[in-house]
Amino acid sequence: MAAPKEGVVAKWQDDLQFYTMHFMPYVYLPPDHKRFDSLWVDFSNKYFDPEKGHALYERYIKEMVLADQLGYDGLVVNEHHNTVYSMMPVCTLMAAALIPLTRRAKICCFGVPVNLEMPNRLAEAYGMLDVMSGGRLEIALPLGTGMEYWANSLVNPATARARFRESLEVLLQAWTQEGPSQFDGEFFNYRYLNPWPRPLQKPHPKIAIVGSGSPETVQVAAERGFGYASVFVPIAVQEKTFRKLREEMPKYGHEFTPDKALFNVMAYVAETEKLAEEEFREHVRYWVEDTTRTTPRYLNPPGYISPEQLRIRAAATASHGGFDWQVLTSQWRIVYGTADKVANILGQWCESANSSRPVIHHHLGDMPHWKVVKNMTLFAEEVIPRLRGRQPSATAQPLTAEPAGGQARAAAGAH
Amino acid sequence: MAVPWQSIELTVNGLKTQVLRAGTGEPLMFWHGGGTVGGWDFAAPWTERFQVYLPLHPGYGGSGDDPGMTTIQDYVMHYLDLLDALSIERFNLVGLSLGGWMAASFATQHSSRLKKLVLVAPAGLWIKEHPSTDIFRLKPEELAPALAENLAALGPPPDPHDVDFIVQSYREMTTLARIGWQRLYDPKLSKHLHRVRVPTLFVWGKQDRIAPVAQADSWTALVRGSTLRTFSPAGHAVLNERPEAVRAIAEFVTA
Repeated sequence: MAAPKEGVVAKWQDDLQFYTMHFMPYVYLPPDHKRFDSLWVDFSNKYFDPEKGHALYERYIKEMVLADQLGYDGLVVNEHHNTVYSMMPVCTLMAAALIPLTRRAKICCFGVPVNLEMPNRLAEAYGMLDVMSGGRLEIALPLGTGMEYWANSLVNPATARARFRESLEVLLQAWTQEGPSQFDGEFFNYRYLNPWPRPLQKPHPKIAIVGSGSPETVQVAAERGFGYASVFVPIAVQEKTFRKLREEMPKYGHEFTPDKALFNVMAYVAETEKLAEEEFREHVRYWVEDTTRTTPRYLNPPGYISPEQLRIRAAATASHGGFDWQVLTSQWRIVYGTADKVANILGQWCESANSSRPVIHHHLGDMPHWKVVKNMTLFAEEVIPRLRGRQPSATAQPLTAEPAGGQARAAAGAH
Repeated sequence: MAVPWQSIELTVNGLKTQVLRAGTGEPLMFWHGGGTVGGWDFAAPWTERFQVYLPLHPGYGGSGDDPGMTTIQDYVMHYLDLLDALSIERFNLVGLSLGGWMAASFATQHSSRLKKLVLVAPAGLWIKEHPSTDIFRLKPEELAPALAENLAALGPPPDPHDVDFIVQSYREMTTLARIGWQRLYDPKLSKHLHRVRVPTLFVWGKQDRIAPVAQADSWTALVRGSTLRTFSPAGHAVLNERPEAVRAIAEFVTA
């Protein structure tokens, strides 16, 4: 699929694409798990049952394959370590597994925390995936949560941001200069930077920076003209982040386009709003209270953020409650209800964020398979056509001639 | 006893550096540890005999931050610049914990500038049989109990929800992480300690839970002619906990 040229797409409706994202969590927590203040970093792996894990992998992969069959434009995987939150400590492995099982969706690695890899190896892994998938790879580069630095303590959180920037330089040099080239930096020195294979997409797969809106990560995206994939944070924070991105990007000679604003959404579609809430709410609660549960110390390892940023976070933490459905569903991008309602709200969010890339979590927390299939299918069949109907000029074409709705019906019939 | 510190601010190779100064006499410089809890009033007896200089390391107190200071050698170089700025040629040096590691490294290279050296529960050596506690593994609430045998010696406990305290601790841990996130010791230091050619005293709390007193044997074996004084009951914060340890240091330096 030919990506729209930079500068051509100005309105979100012109290039609306739907990505679905899966955390692939491990959900079999011990009955007394509430006594652990963190389910990250030091939560013992003795609680991981590989037999159950195997079944979960099979199920989760099936859900991603269904998304491809339903016509979703991108399948998003990401990576976390030492945690029940994600069973994808090597998300490139999951991407590789999905390639032969899928046909049209982009494989989105959003992605390997750059600092946990040697940048030439990252160029190699992503080069492989792009070539193997026939150019379906899209990547987003995270600094990684604070917890990743405790789990991978060979990498110093105090130099994480400087190292991240340098890794990015290596990666781009590897993809934009013919090898072998040389690189001399503070963290990395390459005599023969010459990774094989080179990516199929030229000059490289589409790149975004992953972040929660910290000034440093927004700055990197703006300087490079990359997209910004906002993790799950309150709406106001996302909007502020994208506003900053739109303002800053032209200063570095890059044009902001709506595909550069990727925002995470938790969505659930059902026959009625009441039913949607009933079926959805407990899994949001599980996600908020359990899978994301960790300590301030693990969130902010020494040097990971500046003392000034820590002051802001420490003040915010003091005023933060636990699971509050009203707050979550009004101040965060959590939407549930009938297809009409979900389409309306999602359309408003795309409009206000000037984004053509909602990244939707159809699975969340401990949601059972049947709900994921129902949600994903209803969303594909009923929500996507409503939103696509709004676009004044359809530029985003699927690889196959079949319209997305038709694919959705065919796939739903098969399941 | 509260010490009437005079706080002076210098720019050392471009970096703001705060130095506390009190007393008169020969110069005695104290290089503090990786944290600043407990304060500096324990140094009162020193100010009766010496002009005490207590510089705040870059990344602590009123001194500026330099993300480029990532090794103990960076601190050694910083202190050579500070000594020039203060016009101090020869001096007595006392280093505690992290500051003890700096002082030991300094002494391997610049013994001729030292009259006496005192290392209080120094960090820096890797002693497999008696490893130091990895303080990055300690939870905030575990830190103070690990530091002292007698917690009251550290003064009133800080409010763990006080944002200023949280931010200050985070800044100190950040400075420490720059130097030693991976390891708070230098695997090569043991090879170089024979170059310390200055009368050296080691001071240790017998109940030290950060750097166990058993480490002292390795240090005294490596620094020729050095002596050891231990104090009990006392932990890593032996200077706050045992005034007689502070006096013993004054006597050693005077002798």
